[in-house]
Amino acid sequence: MVETGHFALVLAFALALVQALVPLFGARTGNSRMMAVGGPVAVIGFALTVLSFATLATAYASSDFSVANVWENSHSLQPLIYKITGTWGNHEGSMLLWVLILTFFGALVAVFGGNLPATLRANVLAVQGAIGATFFLFILTTSNPFIRMNPAPIEGRDLNPILQDLGLAIHPPLLYLGYVGFSICFSFSVAALIEGRIDASWARWVRPWALVAWMFLTGGIAMGSYWAYYELGWGGFWFWDPVENASFMPWLAGTALLHSAIVMEKRSALKIWTLLLAILTFSLSLLGTFLVRSGVLTSVHAFATDPTRGVFILSMLTLFIGGSLALFALRASRLTAGGLFHPISREGALILNNLFLTTATATVLIGTLYPLALEAITGDKISVGAPFFNLTFGPLMVPLLVVVPFGPLLAWKRGDLLAVAQRLMAAFAAALLAVLVTALFIDGASAFAALGVGLAFWLICGALTDLAVKSGFGTVAPDVMLSRLVGLPRSVFGTALAHFGLGLTTLGIVGTLCFGTEKILSIRVGETVELSGQTLRFEGLYPSQGPNYSEDRGRFALLGADGSSTSEITSAKRLYPVRQMTTTESGIKTIGFSQLYLSLGDQATDGSVVVRLWWKPLVTLIWGGGLVMMAGAAMSLMDRRLRVGAPSRRRKATGAVPAASLP
Amino acid sequence: MTRKQKRLSVIVAGLAFLGAATGLTFYALGQKASYFYMPADLTTTSVQPGQRIRLGGLVEKGTIQRGQGATVGFSVTDTQKSVKVMYTGILPDLFREEQGVITEGAFGPDGVFVADSVLAKHDENYMPKEVADGLKAKGVWQESKSE
Amino acid sequence: MLFCVIAAILTLGASLAVLLPLAGGSKSPSAAGAHDLEVYRDQLSELDRDAARGLIQPAEAEEARAEIARRILHLDNAGPAARAAGPSTTARLVATAAVLAVPLISWGFYSELGSPDLPSQPLSARLAKNPADSSVDELVARAEAHLAANPSDGKGWDVLAPVYLRMQRFSDAVAAYRNAIRLDGDSPARQAGLGEAIANAAGGTVSAEAQDAFDAALKLDPANPKASFYLAMGLAQEGRVPEATAAWQKMLGTLPQDSPWRDAVEQALAESTKRNVAAGEPAKGPDAGDVDAASSMSPQDRQAMIETMVAGLDEKLRQNPRNAEGWMQLVRSYVVLGKADQARDALGRGIAVFGPDSEEARKFTAFAASLGLTATE
Repeated sequence: MVETGHFALVLAFALALVQALVPLFGARTGNSRMMAVGGPVAVIGFALTVLSFATLATAYASSDFSVANVWENSHSLQPLIYKITGTWGNHEGSMLLWVLILTFFGALVAVFGGNLPATLRANVLAVQGAIGATFFLFILTTSNPFIRMNPAPIEGRDLNPILQDLGLAIHPPLLYLGYVGFSICFSFSVAALIEGRIDASWARWVRPWALVAWMFLTGGIAMGSYWAYYELGWGGFWFWDPVENASFMPWLAGTALLHSAIVMEKRSALKIWTLLLAILTFSLSLLGTFLVRSGVLTSVHAFATDPTRGVFILSMLTLFIGGSLALFALRASRLTAGGLFHPISREGALILNNLFLTTATATVLIGTLYPLALEAITGDKISVGAPFFNLTFGPLMVPLLVVVPFGPLLAWKRGDLLAVAQRLMAAFAAALLAVLVTALFIDGASAFAALGVGLAFWLICGALTDLAVKSGFGTVAPDVMLSRLVGLPRSVFGTALAHFGLGLTTLGIVGTLCFGTEKILSIRVGETVELSGQTLRFEGLYPSQGPNYSEDRGRFALLGADGSSTSEITSAKRLYPVRQMTTTESGIKTIGFSQLYLSLGDQATDGSVVVRLWWKPLVTLIWGGGLVMMAGAAMSLMDRRLRVGAPSRRRKATGAVPAASLP
Repeated sequence: MTRKQKRLSVIVAGLAFLGAATGLTFYALGQKASYFYMPADLTTTSVQPGQRIRLGGLVEKGTIQRGQGATVGFSVTDTQKSVKVMYTGILPDLFREEQGVITEGAFGPDGVFVADSVLAKHDENYMPKEVADGLKAKGVWQESKSE
Repeated sequence: MLFCVIAAILTLGASLAVLLPLAGGSKSPSAAGAHDLEVYRDQLSELDRDAARGLIQPAEAEEARAEIARRILHLDNAGPAARAAGPSTTARLVATAAVLAVPLISWGFYSELGSPDLPSQPLSARLAKNPADSSVDELVARAEAHLAANPSDGKGWDVLAPVYLRMQRFSDAVAAYRNAIRLDGDSPARQAGLGEAIANAAGGTVSAEAQDAFDAALKLDPANPKASFYLAMGLAQEGRVPEATAAWQKMLGTLPQDSPWRDAVEQALAESTKRNVAAGEPAKGPDAGDVDAASSMSPQDRQAMIETMVAGLDEKLRQNPRNAEGWMQLVRSYVVLGKADQARDALGRGIAVFGPDSEEARKFTAFAASLGLTATE
């Protein structure tokens, strides 16, 4: 029932329009019936989008080539999992996924937002509806996945082989959950600007949403990085590619938002700044979508390019980013400022965090947009790559990482830096030890590498110190400490876990960049090669046939100390005949936290094969750290304070006013 | 210090920080950005040996030579001029004769371009965007030949 | 029909989502200040928990408590409490517009975009259809699916190979013939077919590889007409026209009187003498003589031959597009073959070559109209 899905999509667009206008009108005129329209419309709109998406996915799963989108991006011989993931492995389908997630979050606000002030809820849903309506219109007019073909072709043109991977099942949905999650923060901000006041429940709602979005975005970026690492066969985990930057900028801004929202919630300070950050973060998400989808940037992600789409997205960007910033300029002065604090305090540390993160976001933004601007103005084509970002982003991140352990230990309002420094002595000693051990005992370690390792240990031990101090380690009896540790608010654990994960990622990056080794050589069957203590023997090339590709598998035996084979690594060159595309499947063997990475090159006429080998020490920590950060966010979300978005009104009756309110 | 002075000093410190970051960013843009050229552009602009640039064009037919081990030599052409490129490493899967390619590196003193990375990422026309634009500007290549 | 019912139900549901809240009772929402108070109370209780756990110093807790208390005192309780929905005219107008917008926008938009009559066509259902109702494409796809599951079915490859040849999927035909030969062994027909496929894949040039295949066919069956014919063609292409002529002459002597190949050979002979006279041969379509020659062949061979020639003409026009006569021949050929889409495509390309306002373009359009073809569907 392909057409049902198409009709559902159109209907969802109509509902999104109603959702954008009616509650807004209701909130302005104080008409509670009109404000109440937002909720049911958001829920039904979500249900219709689900129906539409499910229809498209079914068309993909059943290889219905009467749908042009399926014909262009699928093949009957693909494994079922890639048929299904192919639904969003193309421009049209991925936009449908985007809007599906948008309506999902809108529906969540509608269902769980009963305890929000009615006008705030109506305005939030209206802004969500406006974003949704624009995207629905974009899909229907420029990127409709339901265009039909009659008569239907009998075979499809296959999915881009690079996308035929489990990574496609995970990376885009996570990334979109992150991108689009920030739309809720954006809608709350715009709603507050429309109303001209920030409710106390505002921060309570924005922070969990920022956490959710940040958690998924972290996962999406980490997954995308790992996918590029193993699929592209270049052994790199981050390329400073504009498309990667497009997802990294909202992450940096989102991280800043996460931290400023804490200040706002605890101290009612930084209200205006938080609001602006929420707008900027989602604007960067939209900009990321624009950069990737408009075809301004050519990459694996620019599935197909079409100028009308670019113009549409550009107008959409202008409308939302320009509109919200203009509203901000008009209304921000009406919002009241919050509590005061001393520069040396938790608030001060969080502001420092924000300063570094937003500046880092700005440098990434400049590095990404400058080549586009220059080309538009002078026609010169330049590329801004890793050297630029290493020089600008690096110096900004290092001081930030140095101060991270101080933040959670500082008191609110007025902190005692000296006392905190004393508490961090153990962590500092551990970091110093790590520097010395690295410098003295690891061959070829530069001073830079040793300091990098020290920084990572500083972060890791700093996070542990935070938990130790808060559970009273060393000042109370062990059993009291244990019960205190268990009783700590989940958000404290969340903070510590996230900072711990940051340390792990740092360690992984330093390990891989400073201690990694690589070799390029041509090798014959039976020859061995040694790299960083690992010995490999080339066993030969074996042809093999997959469902929709043929491949030459290069088999390598990993040799133990006695020269016997302990395990096997295979790397393959695959040919996908439908698109006449070759891909390289890298061979990866994980040893501890490190990996041996092997990539097969061309075959020479004399029977030898070019092979590129990398030894990547601690590389898995890069993504492992990302997972730990996600876990930290999840832990924070479980905090009872955040679980209830805003206190329900029923509690008023039970009189849960704390006994000791004022002395 | 009064509260106002304190606030002022915080703001000044913040602005100084932002100024330093901006300066660093633009310094880095001047130093670390690499320009894109096609072979014929090199006759009109002077590129010093050792200066990092991106060189794009088509892989000239019949010029791919495999040397010792993993070193490959080939010529990049825009059909007007061609430049010899040496590269040690594994060529990307999409590297083919007469198809678009972007190499990044610097000229050696002998006039041979030594590339440390070779990109053959492309859109559906099998052409990196920069190369396609360059060829179009030279009137050598037309979009969608089939139409 | 079923679709219309489903669409109507969906529209009804969506309209109700708008209508019901508008028609429902009006709750008077509490003032925003009440919500703020709840949040502050919750903050106070959290503060107490933190203080009890020793997370913050008692002095800090006092200070924080005082601060929250100040916020509570500042609460602006005179927040804009929503008025009960006064049934103003504007409100009624907006409500009516909203309820009507849903069916109007959705049906309006959908009628522009949708294809309500087109059913879903999952591949498995299409392949499971009665073979008599299936198109050639579908039958081939079914055979391909079978062979993908049983790649060692030589008989299957043998059946599919000539079909590919007829469908002009020459490289597939080459692979299929090779598979058939590998699995079921040599036969004159397979080797000759392989040669024909290789030659056609190369645009009609009888390459060394194709010659090998034809030679293998002749070794098995010295009288194989297809192999002899193409080998002579190869000679002619190499410029050894006298030898080619001699070979074709010899064929005429040995071919049985009713052989479908006789006319083709005679045609080729006529061609080769003509070519000797005029070396620069213009692009030409299958003329009456070719079609006559073809008419005496088996239906399959005839079809294949015509299609090969048309494809050849198409290719020539791609390289040498300023040939008005050639374009008209191509359009007519496609119309005769019943390939209206390709005819339309050729017409469009021809017009594009000379520009839509040119003399030729008008001629093309008129010519196409005389064949019952219009530029658009």
